[in-house]
Amino acid sequence: MRYSLVVHLCGVLIRLFGAMFLAPLAVAVYYGESSDAVGFAVAGVTTVIIGHLMRLAGGTSAEDAVERMRRVEGLAVVSAVWLIVAHLAAIPFVWVGVGPIDALFEAMSGLTTTGATILRDFADHGRAIFFWRALTHWVGGMGVIALFVAILPRLSIGGRELFFAEAPGPSEDKVSPQIRRTAALLWRLYAGLTLVQVLALRVAGMSWFDAVCHSMATLAAGGFSPHPLSVGGYQNPAAEWIIVFFMFIAGANFALQYRALARRDVRILVFDDEFRAYAGVVAVATGLLVLALGTDDGVLTTVRRALFQTLSILTTTGFASVDFQLWSEQAKMVLLVLMFIGGCAGSASGGPKVVRHVVLARYTLQALRRTLHPRAVLPVKLGGRVVPEEIVQVVVVFFLFYLLVFSICTGVVVALGADIVTGITATIACLGNIGPGFNQVGPMANFADLHPLSRVTLTLAMWIGRLEVLTVLVVLRPEVWRSGQWSADGRPRFAR
Amino acid sequence: MRIVIVGGGQVGSSLARSLSADHEVFVIDHDPDVGDVFQSMNVEFLHGSGTNDEVLARAGVARCDFFVAATGLDEVNIVACALANRLGQPQTICLVSRAEFLAGAGGGLTAFGINRVVWPEAQLAADIERIVTAPGAIDAEVFAGGIMRLLEYRLDEGSPLTAAPVSGLHLPRGALIVAVKRAGRMFVPRGTTQLQAGDKVIVMGTPDAMQAVESRVHPGRAGARLQVTIIGGGDVGFQLAQRLEQLPSIDLRILERGAERGAMLAARLTRALVLNGDGTDLEFLESENVGRSDVLVSVIDNDERNLLASLLGRQLGVPKVITRVGRPANLRLFERVGIDVAISARGAAVDSILHTITGGATSLLAVVEHGEARVFELTVKPSFEPRPLKSMGAGEDAIVAAILRGDQAIVPRGDDPIHPGDRIVVFCTQDAVDRVREYFTRQAS
Repeated sequence: MRYSLVVHLCGVLIRLFGAMFLAPLAVAVYYGESSDAVGFAVAGVTTVIIGHLMRLAGGTSAEDAVERMRRVEGLAVVSAVWLIVAHLAAIPFVWVGVGPIDALFEAMSGLTTTGATILRDFADHGRAIFFWRALTHWVGGMGVIALFVAILPRLSIGGRELFFAEAPGPSEDKVSPQIRRTAALLWRLYAGLTLVQVLALRVAGMSWFDAVCHSMATLAAGGFSPHPLSVGGYQNPAAEWIIVFFMFIAGANFALQYRALARRDVRILVFDDEFRAYAGVVAVATGLLVLALGTDDGVLTTVRRALFQTLSILTTTGFASVDFQLWSEQAKMVLLVLMFIGGCAGSASGGPKVVRHVVLARYTLQALRRTLHPRAVLPVKLGGRVVPEEIVQVVVVFFLFYLLVFSICTGVVVALGADIVTGITATIACLGNIGPGFNQVGPMANFADLHPLSRVTLTLAMWIGRLEVLTVLVVLRPEVWRSGQWSADGRPRFAR
Repeated sequence: MRIVIVGGGQVGSSLARSLSADHEVFVIDHDPDVGDVFQSMNVEFLHGSGTNDEVLARAGVARCDFFVAATGLDEVNIVACALANRLGQPQTICLVSRAEFLAGAGGGLTAFGINRVVWPEAQLAADIERIVTAPGAIDAEVFAGGIMRLLEYRLDEGSPLTAAPVSGLHLPRGALIVAVKRAGRMFVPRGTTQLQAGDKVIVMGTPDAMQAVESRVHPGRAGARLQVTIIGGGDVGFQLAQRLEQLPSIDLRILERGAERGAMLAARLTRALVLNGDGTDLEFLESENVGRSDVLVSVIDNDERNLLASLLGRQLGVPKVITRVGRPANLRLFERVGIDVAISARGAAVDSILHTITGGATSLLAVVEHGEARVFELTVKPSFEPRPLKSMGAGEDAIVAAILRGDQAIVPRGDDPIHPGDRIVVFCTQDAVDRVREYFTRQAS
């Protein structure tokens, strides 16, 4: 690994992120929240300066750097950027009086599109802060899409290369212009859908401010709402249906949707294995929830609530249209299962992803068949194509590490005083980038009452989960660091 | 018609033998020794290359109606067809041995003006599919646009068809037993003929009636899932598997010895279970319960191993065994030792080509039992004096299987009359073809 390249690329991305502070600054000025505006200005300037300094320290030109990037350097850049940017994004929260641990938690929760919050009293804060929370979601979502569509497939993390049929195989080590084009196209789709949702919510009666915040949080599968009672606080069924629709879209593969849209062929979606499984899970979970909830409040209302909560948890958005903490244990069990599934690959949603579950299920099934027919040739197939054995292995390994990280975090949170349900759901809500859990961290509650160390652990869980577990774990391998050097010729630039 | 055949190998000579009676046939081969085969036939043999303009001109390609390129080399066949097209306007039929020529991007071989590309292995797979899907039957054909079917059965001990003489079996109206093959001899049964176990019988009729026959011969099989085992995952096995996968009522297994080929099969096939093992390994066959299959198809590219695999399958109790044969001489041998259906790729190709060539004019519908008998359609001459079938004198070697009126097929009884201008479907043995044709169509001079 060449540190110069990593530092340089991180610098470029961080400096770019600095520009994002202009938006909340404008919002703060518009609503006359002058103190907050200063906070955003300070954070923005700090970010740009840090980014610029890192860029200078790294020293190579951006194009050159990207061309020469190797796999491990890509992983390091991705991991480092998310971590550093979260710290910088926390500055405005600190400025308005949130403690440093909580500020980092909130910023990380935003950037990883988790939506878990430590804010106790929403009335304490101005609109610009809530806008900033939604914007971190939206920017994080963009990052995730770029990451999953453009970068991770090339870096073969957790079998990612498999999920984008048109991307060339993992043998190609460098990032090509094709990738930038793909990412740009998907961003346009992402932004376009956000705009459509804003308009739809406005028509449904939300204020412009609320419509923008919720739309950014929906498309990014985030979950921050400016309302303390989340979406349920608006008592607006039309808006809930709109959000249901966009959550479903946001949880599906953007690359696939783009292709279906570009070729005007719905079959591309309908015949996709992952999309089918995704739609199937939504249908089954909604059906079970309607059964568990009963239809005392009218069928349509129950279906809307069941569908909203199902999609909110499955796509790892984390909105709530009702306080599902008050639901029966049976209904909560359905949601708990959904927390371990996640949305589709190629969306901004978190979790292990539907496609990995599909691969794992088929692999298990084939293993069972193999005991009946020891000589059978039983490849795992996805979309009619054989999934190479090594990718199946990586998927299995992914699940093992996912569960390992999950167990450790749960252990820490419970050891530090939370009850088991809180521990389990808080961890999966953060690791899966969902947001709310049950009990102490329920949809109308917050994470602020957890032990400070728990909050730090969960902040890390969000980061690890967002980067598909293996990314971070690979970068933390000692051999990566032992073989590291400042630049290709082994000497720091300034020592020459 | 004038027909030019390039290549005097198995396909060429079979074609020449079948066509020489009615047509002017020229065979071109670069090997003079091959010519001996054609001495006994009414065939003009030309020594030379099929890709040589002068040789082709001598065979009269400019005036021929059909041009068949059937050498063992795909490229030679293609060039010969292309040349023939330049010399005249024959219908060209080109034999190939690889899938890539069948349907390439850009129309495949039509660019060379080739009218029909025949890949024997594909033809064989299609034929086997037809036999597999007719429960109990060991041969099956459909013709006259689907309004007539032919099924061939081997009668087992206790078969319902051996219960009484033919007239006492009360077969459904619309179905007719047209031939019996017993001890190597084929004959048309009379009402008094008593069928026996071990006989092969050929039944023809309308699809509805044939369905009734099927359920009579194989009671209780309707609607059940069919377990099919294919041994050998070569070109034929793969294509057959692809075809059978389309039928939802079939459970399919395919045994392939090569690990790499097996992986390829598993990748390309969707429902079939691919097993990696040797089809001649008894222990393997037993462990996979191959004996429980309803049909065993052995399509290994080696006659000896095919026969071994098929006999093992038969030994394990598979009721219907279909085996691919490479050497034509083995066809009868295989059926004699207990294989239900022995079938060769070249034979399938020959049948198919014959169908193309004669289909238009004399309406040869099918060749059954390796050429021993034929089914063909003809139009009765205008001067024919109407009379009931039974007054025509019952031959042992020919039978009118159907009268076609409009899009309906009427399976006649003895009282039904034949009128001039009727289109009839006749089943007869090879030797009786000329006599039958003369009886119905020759104008009195």
